[in-house]
Amino acid sequence: MTRFIIQRTAQMVVVLFCISIFTFLIFQVIPNGNPALRLAGQAATPQTIAAIERQWGFDKPIYVQYLDTMQKILTGSVISYSQQINVLDQIKRGLPATISLAGGAAVIWLLFGMALGTLSALRAGRFSDRVLAVLSLVGISMPSFVVATVALYLLAYKVHVFPLSGYVSLAQDPWQWFLHLVLPWFSLSIIYVGFYSRVLRSNMLDTLAEDYVRTATAKGLSRRRVIVGHVLRASLIPLMSLWGLDFAGVIGGGAILVEVVFNLNGVGQYAAESIQTLDVPPILVIVMYGAFLVVVLSAMIDVLYVVLDPRVRLTA
Amino acid sequence: MTRPARTSRRLAAGAALSALFVAFLAACGGSSNSSNPAASTSTGVNGGTATIDMASAPDSLDPQYGYTVEAGEADWITYTPLLTYAHASGVAGTQVIPGLATALPVVSNGGKTYTLTLRSGLKFSDGTPVTASDFTYAVERMLKLNWGGDSFFTQTIVGASAYLAGTATSISGITTNDSTGKITIRLTAPYGAFDNLLAFPSVAPVPAGTPFTNEPTNPPSGVGAYIIKDVIPNQSFELVRNPLFASFHIPGIPTGHLSTIKVNIITNTTTEAEQVLDNQVDNFDAGDTVPAALLSQIKSQAADRFSLQPVETTYYFFLNQSKAPFNNKLAREAVNIAVNREAFQRLAGGTINPGCYLLAAGLVGHPTKPCPWGTLDSADLSKAKSLIQQAHLVGAPVTVYGEQVSPVEQWVEYYAGVLKDIGFDVTIKFVDGSTYFPTVGSQTADPQTGYSAWAEDFPNPVDFYLLVNANSIQPVGNRNRSYVNDPHIQSELSKLDVVPTSQLQSVASQWSALDYYVASQADELVFGYGTAPEFFSDRIDYSTAVFSPIWFNDWSTWELSK
Repeated sequence: MTRFIIQRTAQMVVVLFCISIFTFLIFQVIPNGNPALRLAGQAATPQTIAAIERQWGFDKPIYVQYLDTMQKILTGSVISYSQQINVLDQIKRGLPATISLAGGAAVIWLLFGMALGTLSALRAGRFSDRVLAVLSLVGISMPSFVVATVALYLLAYKVHVFPLSGYVSLAQDPWQWFLHLVLPWFSLSIIYVGFYSRVLRSNMLDTLAEDYVRTATAKGLSRRRVIVGHVLRASLIPLMSLWGLDFAGVIGGGAILVEVVFNLNGVGQYAAESIQTLDVPPILVIVMYGAFLVVVLSAMIDVLYVVLDPRVRLTA
Repeated sequence: MTRPARTSRRLAAGAALSALFVAFLAACGGSSNSSNPAASTSTGVNGGTATIDMASAPDSLDPQYGYTVEAGEADWITYTPLLTYAHASGVAGTQVIPGLATALPVVSNGGKTYTLTLRSGLKFSDGTPVTASDFTYAVERMLKLNWGGDSFFTQTIVGASAYLAGTATSISGITTNDSTGKITIRLTAPYGAFDNLLAFPSVAPVPAGTPFTNEPTNPPSGVGAYIIKDVIPNQSFELVRNPLFASFHIPGIPTGHLSTIKVNIITNTTTEAEQVLDNQVDNFDAGDTVPAALLSQIKSQAADRFSLQPVETTYYFFLNQSKAPFNNKLAREAVNIAVNREAFQRLAGGTINPGCYLLAAGLVGHPTKPCPWGTLDSADLSKAKSLIQQAHLVGAPVTVYGEQVSPVEQWVEYYAGVLKDIGFDVTIKFVDGSTYFPTVGSQTADPQTGYSAWAEDFPNPVDFYLLVNANSIQPVGNRNRSYVNDPHIQSELSKLDVVPTSQLQSVASQWSALDYYVASQADELVFGYGTAPEFFSDRIDYSTAVFSPIWFNDWSTWELSK
């Protein structure tokens, strides 16, 4: 286990280093992406632009700018170009909303995905399977912002069942926290539910044809025990891997559109605002933070693999 | 939608997509626009709380850094400068009045020396007495924080440029006397709009010792009707009444009615509009754009609390005269004749007013004569085609630059279509909004023609004439994107630039003649002027609310309805 952790940590450092360089360079090669031009304002003179370049270090070689930025990120002192706000503080401020969104949605899409996938596999070829297949495809095909907008209009604006937008912290008012997140949870989950149910159905159908399943049935185990204890357990292994990566993606700021539509003020919304203003420091930090979560959750899923399937050994 | 600085940076992604899908859901009603009269006598109640939804967060509420419309709305009633604008709707709101100064400046030395006196007994909201040298401190802080309009000051005040460059430790052109309150400012050359510069909240005094860093979460104390507090960047902030301000008895500056003004940053303008329509929130921020899908519904259901107020923003396509084909006046004339300016208005869902002059309709000097190129709702394609043939430009390649954001995208496509119809070989080049203006303002790109817009920094024609002033041409951040270098314009500007703001009316006819000349030279393809939404809930007394042509909604005039 120690060796596994060390190897994974080393991998993480390499991944973060590569991603940080790649992200930083992207914003250097954008034509007229010089932040000094935007910071200087519309009536800026070349003198003002030069002063800003000096002040922010935009006149230094790219590798120096990169090292300066990374040093500020690692020491927690990195500030955004446009608003000059501490980026880490902003991410910390948005994290509760993003975690609430991602956590609730991930539970929903996993549970519903498992339920519908299992049902579909067990009823393969029947009418209900076909109906579920169509529903899954609809779910996969519907972009989350469409679902979010329609749900918001119908259930919040027209019927007033849910609030129109915003986020209330769990500590402040648990009921309002729940009410404010119901629509975002389902809007974000629908696409994943459709996808997960199709993947699980396929896995289960493959597993149902395995020899050991036939053996378990021949031994006289009940169908429920065979399905839950053998088929579902084995079929869930690849799904867990997907779930971990998707969850990390969402919590790392991937639910941009849902956060924007529902105005949750989470990390994704901050990412969207930063991208729109080409504000490199927040984008860099959010990308690295997302990558960090993906690597860490991926390692955790590997550990979970061992629990689900004892034949698997931990190797980096 | 406009230029990248004193304008909203909207989160178009979600909002635009939302608007798209609301379009087929929203019920459409008849349209009847109401217009808000100028502030009348109070019929509302004092105290209470109003909430505002704002789609774009202010860049900063620190007065020496904040430059966007959203920042200005909050800052101008929190940080009163030496001079300020009358709290009135319409043209009356463009009048410069004394703020913290006892009177308008005494101008001497051929327009190069401005002398003002600070009112006595003023205190910042934290109780610290205000001194004349706090003005100097604010100017220095504004320069060191690289406020978006700092070049107005570095180009005018003696020693400001050296101070910014770090070659001087103070601004030699400003001298103050704390015991008498006297402030003397020396200019490098006469500049008639200097009164307007002194009315920016960015030069409003702040306590000496305020850090020379942007303070977005903890803006400094100021002298104004309100105090900014509880700032959560990109999420919310509040304004509460300043209990000290009423005792200063500054004429013409309201002391505020509402106890608290809560501002929520909400990136989805569809939700923002729905909340105000539904009376859940009291105001749709004037810096935001009402989603086109909801406009008719709002006009129908909230006719008594919604209007589109004209603002001094000019929309135009620049025509680069430094290169073919627009170095040929016939080509410029042809495009001015060929477009139907009302088509641009329709493409924007009625949110702009058509026009052909550089000076927007509410500005001194805006010509009253008909456009030199025909009526605003007509286009003469056959005449335009013949001009292009006469100039031997049929088939000439033209690249049109634009942003891919509504309605600019539609405007660019319409304009490109017209250029094609009259004989040019047209290519459209869309550039992302975050780099659009740096791109078209760069000599490297050197575009032939493209979309542009100019929102006033201050209500003086001088500000708009930066667009055709040869001295504005620069390799980066170029404002004169048409590369106009006309001796007649330069000669007129040298005379008009020095006329003090207080005497603008005396030269209105000269400005008008110059603006007509620019239009008839087809230096730009101007097609319209902006509007901003004034949209309230039922809770706000619409009749007393002032809509400032400079800072938009004047929150200090709002009252709750009885």
